[in-house]
Amino acid sequence: MSFDWMKIPYALLTVFIVFNYGLLLGAFIQKIGARAGRRYGIPVWQNYVDLIKNYGQRTSITHGVMFYLGPVFRLTGGIGLLLFVPTIYGSYMFSNLSFAGDLILALYFVFFGTLGMALGAGESGHPHAAIGITRGLSQVSVAELPFALAVFAVALQYQTLSVTDIVAAQQGGVLNWTLFTNPLAVAAAMLAFLGSMMRPPFDVVIAPQEIPIGPPTEYHSAYLALMQTNRAIFPVAKMVIYMNLFFGGATSWPEFAVKVFLLYLFSAFVGVCFPRFRVEQSIRWFLIWAVPLGVQAILWV
Amino acid sequence: MVSALHIITAALAAAFLLGLLKEQQRGLAYGITLLTLALMSWISAGWLWTFASTGTAAVEIFTAGTEPPFAINLRIGLAEAALTLLINLVGLLSALALKDTLLALGRRAMAVWLVAVMALSGIVLTRDLFNLFVFFELTVIASAGLVLLSEHAKNDGQALAAGFKYLIVSQFISAFLLIGIIFAYHATGTLNIDDMAAAAPLLGGGAAQAFALAFFLIFIAVVAELKPFPANGWALDIYESAHPAFSALFSAATGAAALFAVDKLLLIGGDAWLPMATGIGIVTFVAANLLALPQTNDRRLLGYSSIAQTGLILAVLGQRDILGEHTLYIAGGLLLSHAIAKAGLYWLSGLIAERGLEAWAALRGQPLLIFAFVSFISMLSGLPPFPGFYAKWELIHLLAGEGRIVLLGLILFGALLEAGYLFRWFGYIMKREAPTEVVDNVAHKFGAVFATLAALAAAWALSLVWGELAGLQFDRFNMLLALPLLFALAFLLLDWLPVWVKNSLAIAGLLAWFYLTYTEYDPLRMIFAVIFLIGGSLTLLASYHEHGRRIGFYPSAMLMFAGLAMLIRATDSFDFFVAWELLTVGSYFLILRGKHSEPHALSYILFSLGGAFLILAGFALATQGAPYFDLAALADLVQPLAPWVFLLLAIGFMTKTAAIGLHIWLPGAHAEAETDVSPMVSGILLKAGLYGLIVLLLTMGRQDFYGVELINAMLWIGALTALIGNLLAIFQEDAKRLLAYSSIGQMGYAMFGLALMNHLGWLMALMFVINHYVYKSMLFLSVGGVAKRTGTRQMYRMGGLITLMPLSFIATLIGIIAVSGVPPLSGFGGRWIFYNAILTAEARLPMILIFLAGPIAFLYLFRLIYTIFLGQLKDEFRRVKEAPFWIVLPQMIYVAILLVVAVVPGLVLRHVDAYLNHFFPNGGLIWEGTTITSQFGYWNPVAIMIIVGVIFMTLFAWLLFVNRRAQKVKQFNIVFSAERPFRPETTHFAWNFFAPYRKALGFLTLPLVTLFWSTMTDLLHTAGDLARRFYTGNGQTYAFHLLAFVVIVYLFGMGVRP
Repeated sequence: MSFDWMKIPYALLTVFIVFNYGLLLGAFIQKIGARAGRRYGIPVWQNYVDLIKNYGQRTSITHGVMFYLGPVFRLTGGIGLLLFVPTIYGSYMFSNLSFAGDLILALYFVFFGTLGMALGAGESGHPHAAIGITRGLSQVSVAELPFALAVFAVALQYQTLSVTDIVAAQQGGVLNWTLFTNPLAVAAAMLAFLGSMMRPPFDVVIAPQEIPIGPPTEYHSAYLALMQTNRAIFPVAKMVIYMNLFFGGATSWPEFAVKVFLLYLFSAFVGVCFPRFRVEQSIRWFLIWAVPLGVQAILWV
Repeated sequence: MVSALHIITAALAAAFLLGLLKEQQRGLAYGITLLTLALMSWISAGWLWTFASTGTAAVEIFTAGTEPPFAINLRIGLAEAALTLLINLVGLLSALALKDTLLALGRRAMAVWLVAVMALSGIVLTRDLFNLFVFFELTVIASAGLVLLSEHAKNDGQALAAGFKYLIVSQFISAFLLIGIIFAYHATGTLNIDDMAAAAPLLGGGAAQAFALAFFLIFIAVVAELKPFPANGWALDIYESAHPAFSALFSAATGAAALFAVDKLLLIGGDAWLPMATGIGIVTFVAANLLALPQTNDRRLLGYSSIAQTGLILAVLGQRDILGEHTLYIAGGLLLSHAIAKAGLYWLSGLIAERGLEAWAALRGQPLLIFAFVSFISMLSGLPPFPGFYAKWELIHLLAGEGRIVLLGLILFGALLEAGYLFRWFGYIMKREAPTEVVDNVAHKFGAVFATLAALAAAWALSLVWGELAGLQFDRFNMLLALPLLFALAFLLLDWLPVWVKNSLAIAGLLAWFYLTYTEYDPLRMIFAVIFLIGGSLTLLASYHEHGRRIGFYPSAMLMFAGLAMLIRATDSFDFFVAWELLTVGSYFLILRGKHSEPHALSYILFSLGGAFLILAGFALATQGAPYFDLAALADLVQPLAPWVFLLLAIGFMTKTAAIGLHIWLPGAHAEAETDVSPMVSGILLKAGLYGLIVLLLTMGRQDFYGVELINAMLWIGALTALIGNLLAIFQEDAKRLLAYSSIGQMGYAMFGLALMNHLGWLMALMFVINHYVYKSMLFLSVGGVAKRTGTRQMYRMGGLITLMPLSFIATLIGIIAVSGVPPLSGFGGRWIFYNAILTAEARLPMILIFLAGPIAFLYLFRLIYTIFLGQLKDEFRRVKEAPFWIVLPQMIYVAILLVVAVVPGLVLRHVDAYLNHFFPNGGLIWEGTTITSQFGYWNPVAIMIIVGVIFMTLFAWLLFVNRRAQKVKQFNIVFSAERPFRPETTHFAWNFFAPYRKALGFLTLPLVTLFWSTMTDLLHTAGDLARRFYTGNGQTYAFHLLAFVVIVYLFGMGVRP
């Protein structure tokens, strides 16, 4: 695990691919969701249009330093998360900057963007932002628990914290995937996954009706554009981790594309089927349904 | 050398001489009285000096020139000399304090006073049983008269009634005593105590039985003079109603004399009577302390305390079979502590106008008198460096060595009760509203003040002597002369200096001590040394902010630091425990300084002393009779003792780290402390508990307690503490309370790491030690600075302070990132090591709690920074300035430290990691260049910092470019619900911030532990209050109590005898 300068253009290439894939994927999933609700939905290039529009806006305001930095934190979090984890297994080009740290680094770096964003939104002084953040933090504190247990179980199972080694251990056939070797952990993690994807039933954080779009409510123009960029990259980065930990990783970009799409579809599928939980309901739901699975996973591994 | 007989003759002669004076010559009479008492004291002092310096044997004094049994003989030895000196000095000083009364009442009162003191000395000196009776009778009559002294001032009949009840009871006592003496004389044919002691064992058959009964009567009569529970209502009424100067004599001198009489009697009775003495003593000790709890009258409270102390010493005398030659040292230490402290407190009470405990707040503004009060209650509580401390240490060790665990437990329990009401009282003095009549002009009460200060001087002199004696006994250095302690005490003398001078001295002292000692520490201790000493001086920078003299702050703070400094250098159990007590007491005084900290400081000291007693018991069990042992020898302990020792020590240390169940003192204590004290007690002091646990685990490691692996229990406790601490933190509205609960959680993590008992677990715990010191000190200072400027600690009342207090904001921001463990700051290192550590742990279930606790930390951290610095600025704070320079400066230093540690954690951790290989050879880290590799994963802090930095700066530059025309808008330029807000109070979303969380998991925050402990204290108070009704104030009831007492003791003591 060492650094050489070529890693930088390679990493930028990963970011570029994932960014575009994320934009298209997001719109596509949106469209599937709309169709499930008997609506027509947005065109798949809509995200590009929005992004260009937001970057192009001529007026913008700021509420202060943290407000200004919030989106920067957010996008740094997304890009960093993507780059700290190898995207394509076995490829030097797309091992990214994973020499800097292992799985634990990735898991904790998730919070970097969240925290910065929360601080930025906080400085706007908009109560809806603060309400959204309290909801988000409350929910994530419990939703993370089954995932943490699953990660612990997986690390115990493979006796390593290195993402590359975990993927390596799953090679040689579908039945070697963690999904089949440690189904309880995967089940727990997938329930936790639902909690982090900002889709129903766990999307009270951005509840569009009561607290219009939650934390980002005051963000506009280039700030919003940065956050949209992140919204393309961050979920994919997160799903890369899931893919690597539980579904055998990806050895090529097409495999990557399929697995990420299916993972995304899972959350969208659940999302269109279930109505929204209140925060305390989702806390209880995670504790009652997801955590016991995780507990059994760490006991039986 | 003047014969000791002249102690008695001088008093008698002077009393007669007084009778010859004219009634008007009161000044002269008073002068003669004082001179006589001084002469008596001088004679005793001379003997004491002779015995102490030359070590000669006791001297017999034959009255009438013939040997016993034809004449009475007196004896003076070391103990007698010390006791008569005590009696005569108390007599002299009390006479000084009584000046007004004695002058008003004239020569008769003075003569009675002289006779009383003389009779008490006589009780100590005489070796004749009947003579003992005579002196007791003299004491009784004189005392009954002297009780009336206060009648002169108050004239409410209370003292008259008390004196009368005393007479009634005394008649019973005298009757028992006299009948007993007659039959004992009949059986043995002698009245000389030593002869009787020699003759008694030779008796056989019926004579022996008859003698036993006779001795019982004598014994019970003299014991009754010690006011044993429950036959002591009369004494309490005296304590309550008599003049305090007489109460001083009654408590200190009468008690001492009667105890010595019991000691002489036990010589006759032999070992068979020891259990009875112990039983009566310990019941009295516990019961009197329990009864003292609900007392509100200061003198009655002191009365209960006197009775309790006397009971304790009686119990000690009853243990002479195992204490052997140590009896004198132990009983003497306890007795002198009790006598001096109690006399001092009674003299002090003479300065207070009202009788409620709160009325003592009048002492405030008199630092010297407060210092005296503190010294006295510390002396009574057996805290170092006072004689009672050494006595208790040795007593507990000898008891544990002989397996007398129940007695040991009762003694410690009683002592805790006593400390409870004494320190509660001190809290009243420091914090309650002072009555209108303050002790300002003490000139007219010169006598009482002088006597108090004399007692104060005696207290410290005795501490020196007892330390010296302990030194001689065990061949060690006098603890009182330890350099850190002396340095701390020196601040008492320097308290008149301005703050900045004292602060500079304190910082210089800490740094100098570190420079002097730094070569001695291994890497593990070095971490603590750096935090305690360097860290302490860093925190003290904030104290430059204070102005004036800040009386009392520096002695307390430096006492705590002295304790901490001595703790890490301690190699044996005695030094360790002394340091532990010192840091506890010092920090208690520090915490008590907060404006509203009275109840919290009390619960702190109670939990701490309770913990300290457990540690003491643990050490005592471990030594098995030896006075102390090398801490490393803990490793040699085996079953079945070892797990008990482990348990006692672990619980003791866990009171300091505020483990769940023992944590309720922490939030209030840390939150209510002053701005610069909070970081000291949180960032620094808590580490003492962890240090204790480290020492314990390093030596004792895994212990099996009836099938329970104690390490596993600790793992669960640590995890539960982390969870509950964090959970409670998120619901706090008070910023400092939030941080305090967060500390509980953090200590839980550290404890969890230690309990993992593997290499990385320990490394994580030590990393937590360092990190917690830095960020918690920083956050407390930052929040404290904000609270100073805004005048509130309620977070919802603040908001939007970021632009007004940017530096405080930066400190808080860096702090919360570090606490939460988000890369790239130093907290992440801790998390990374944690994950690696748990992969090799045996138990997996506790991880669930820890995993849940982690994200919860985000909740309270975000709340902290958001509700204070972000959101809406309130109108009343629009002109708030940045926190004061001296409070911001250390924060900025901490920020720098955090950044440095984040990039090069190896700076510190590498050495510790290598050192831990001694104890846990497997599972260490590999440090290659900037990459840190473990068995499972890897991590490169420098790379992370660079990557994150580069991405962040690139994006920031990009945003600056595309957003270059951004316009700064005013506060209310937001729109929601179709309107524009204008009231920050209704727009700042801050109160009850995590309401949904409370709905879902609020049941976990029910104050069950608080409920448990408050029920406990309520029960104790109720028990005390119920038992108190026993004392009706009726003389007949009291007489009945005495009879019942005699019968019960007879049935218990004699009834079971063949």
